[in-house]
Amino acid sequence: MPKLIKNGEIIDNTYNWIQDVEQEVTPNSIIAAQKWLSEKNTISNVAGIWLEAGDGVEFLQDVDLNQFDVIGVHFPAFTDGRGFSYARLLRERLNYQGEIRALGNFIPDQLGYLLRVGFNSFQFNEEVNLEKALALHKPFSIAYQGDVTDPRPLFLRR
Amino acid sequence: MYQYDAIDQQLVEERVAQFRDQTRRYLNQELSEQEFLPLRLQNGLYVQRYAPMLRIAIPYGMLSSAQLRKLADISCRYDRSYGHFSTRQNLQLNWPKIEDVPDILAELAEVQMHATQTSGNCIRNTTTDQYAGVISDEVVDPRPYCELIRQWSTFHPEFAFLPRKFKIAVNATESADRAAVQVHDIGLQIRKNDAGEIGFKVMVGGGLGRTPMVGVTISEFIPRVDLLTYLDAIIRVYNQQGRRDNKYKARIKILVKALGIEEFRSRVEAEWQHLRGKESTVPMSEFERLQGFFSEPNYETLENNPASLTNKLADSAGFARWFERNTFEHKKAGYRIVTLTLKKAGQAPGDATAEQMQKAANLADQFSFSELRVSHEQNLVLADVRQDQLVELWEAAKEAGFATPTLGLLTDMICCPGGDFCALANAKSIPIAAQIQETFNDLDYLYDLGNIDLNISGCMNACGHHHVGNIGILGVDKKGEEFYQISIGGASGHDASIGKILGPSFAQEEISSVIQKLMNVYVENRSEEERFIDTYRRVGITPFKEAAYAKAN
Repeated sequence: MPKLIKNGEIIDNTYNWIQDVEQEVTPNSIIAAQKWLSEKNTISNVAGIWLEAGDGVEFLQDVDLNQFDVIGVHFPAFTDGRGFSYARLLRERLNYQGEIRALGNFIPDQLGYLLRVGFNSFQFNEEVNLEKALALHKPFSIAYQGDVTDPRPLFLRR
Repeated sequence: MYQYDAIDQQLVEERVAQFRDQTRRYLNQELSEQEFLPLRLQNGLYVQRYAPMLRIAIPYGMLSSAQLRKLADISCRYDRSYGHFSTRQNLQLNWPKIEDVPDILAELAEVQMHATQTSGNCIRNTTTDQYAGVISDEVVDPRPYCELIRQWSTFHPEFAFLPRKFKIAVNATESADRAAVQVHDIGLQIRKNDAGEIGFKVMVGGGLGRTPMVGVTISEFIPRVDLLTYLDAIIRVYNQQGRRDNKYKARIKILVKALGIEEFRSRVEAEWQHLRGKESTVPMSEFERLQGFFSEPNYETLENNPASLTNKLADSAGFARWFERNTFEHKKAGYRIVTLTLKKAGQAPGDATAEQMQKAANLADQFSFSELRVSHEQNLVLADVRQDQLVELWEAAKEAGFATPTLGLLTDMICCPGGDFCALANAKSIPIAAQIQETFNDLDYLYDLGNIDLNISGCMNACGHHHVGNIGILGVDKKGEEFYQISIGGASGHDASIGKILGPSFAQEEISSVIQKLMNVYVENRSEEERFIDTYRRVGITPFKEAAYAKAN
């Protein structure tokens, strides 16, 4: 079974990230958020939804997100930083408590920032060595800004 | 100036360790070229035409003599014994080896320096007035606010992969804008409201590059406690909504223009409502802590215009000239602000040799409380010089090549490294600067022409700020040959404007004669006390254009 990093551990990936809208939906599926929203009355239970870069999070503001076990955020390229804001807004604005999973083309060197904005699971592309990636998860032991893990900037902690 | 505590020090050291590991993995081919690129850029490392270039941050231009000595020392041991001071108050090394960069960063960390976020699509080094804290007409010293912004922007987890680079500048005087805040992604003008509270007029969407624009006001007054939440709101909107499909349309100015300032403002306000008053609201204790680092040095009680100064002014035309051009009024009686110019003929504008850096550091120790500033015009500044020591300083500055008395004049050019170094450039810029310096070498004539900003960029990226030069020169590529487009009428102060292109571009050897023709038009048309830019604004582009393209008789 493919592996991923979740909460600082390398574990089996039990969910199925569905990118093809025609693919059959199962209880393990993570399906596109837009698709879920437009078909939610007819769609069966899913593990979660995923956001495409460009989706934003506002269209989910009336949805009870805590019904999902996981919300994925897709990085079309690792230099596309929109997902950093999306994760933070999911946590801080929409109060989502479940798993936020990075999907797509992000890289291990981004783990530190991704964790700080609220991601807690990382489904890397296949060629990434997860042990080596895990070693990069905390490049800094302290931060100037507040973040999802501690909203207080350093000036409230100094 | 700001002093690191154990936490700041730990952060820069952890950054060195992180970058050392990234460099090692890159050299071992564990990190691809494509992956390493943004990572090295976020640490100021470019791969240039002939060699890598490392841009070292000089936060808001403040430098201690110990730091400058370290830069001189690094340039000797890891580079070719010189450096280039940039328009954003940083220092660039043109010939380091990639594998040496982690060691260079480790040495910088020893003197509380780094190269963090001096490039890449992230929040860059914040810049300000090189005279901050020593002029009488500023609202407050902007440097504590610059330091606040530096800390907030350093390793900001949400904004490390923005659509494009992001530059913030702060100005604190109404009478002048030496930080060119209107041509930054965010320009902050410090002001007080009617109740006497300190805050910021916020301008957004200024910038140079391919589509030059003057920033527009998004808020007339943001109280200082709300500064960081407001900046977060602006950049969060930009991070999500700025264009990412075309790098030439990715700056915030394009988003602001596309939406219109009203719509952009309402999106920022909507975002801000969620952030305002939350944890990132800055407590008074933090302002006080930061202000504490910028308290006044131990000034002596002195009188203005001591005899040693006035006598020399009367006796020496050379000294008088230097005093008039290269020194500036200080808020304290008996003191003067001195600019050490890096615009000597035969030296690329903004370049300083290691020896010059050592000498400047010595001058700072001897004359100015061991501190210096780097100016946006690529000069060094000694901010606190006793008037009764000016003669002595002048002699020493002359000897070191720092006393070219042309500050603000035609030959005090801003100039990017251009095609001699930069991989992006279409044309060389340093030889153009050299040509102009050689042609306009008569000081009396330069003084008669008065204040003129001449800015040179080797390509559309506009690192030499050509759009906002009274005269702007832009290197262009015409079928593989280097040509130069000239624009006039740009300005970067409170009256910021973008220059207009004169017409078809010129060959390299024509530049000085074209500039000469423009000067002739100015001299013929000017009224008393009119600067070049004033005459241009009154008479328009036509007479300049006609003169520049007139056929020889």
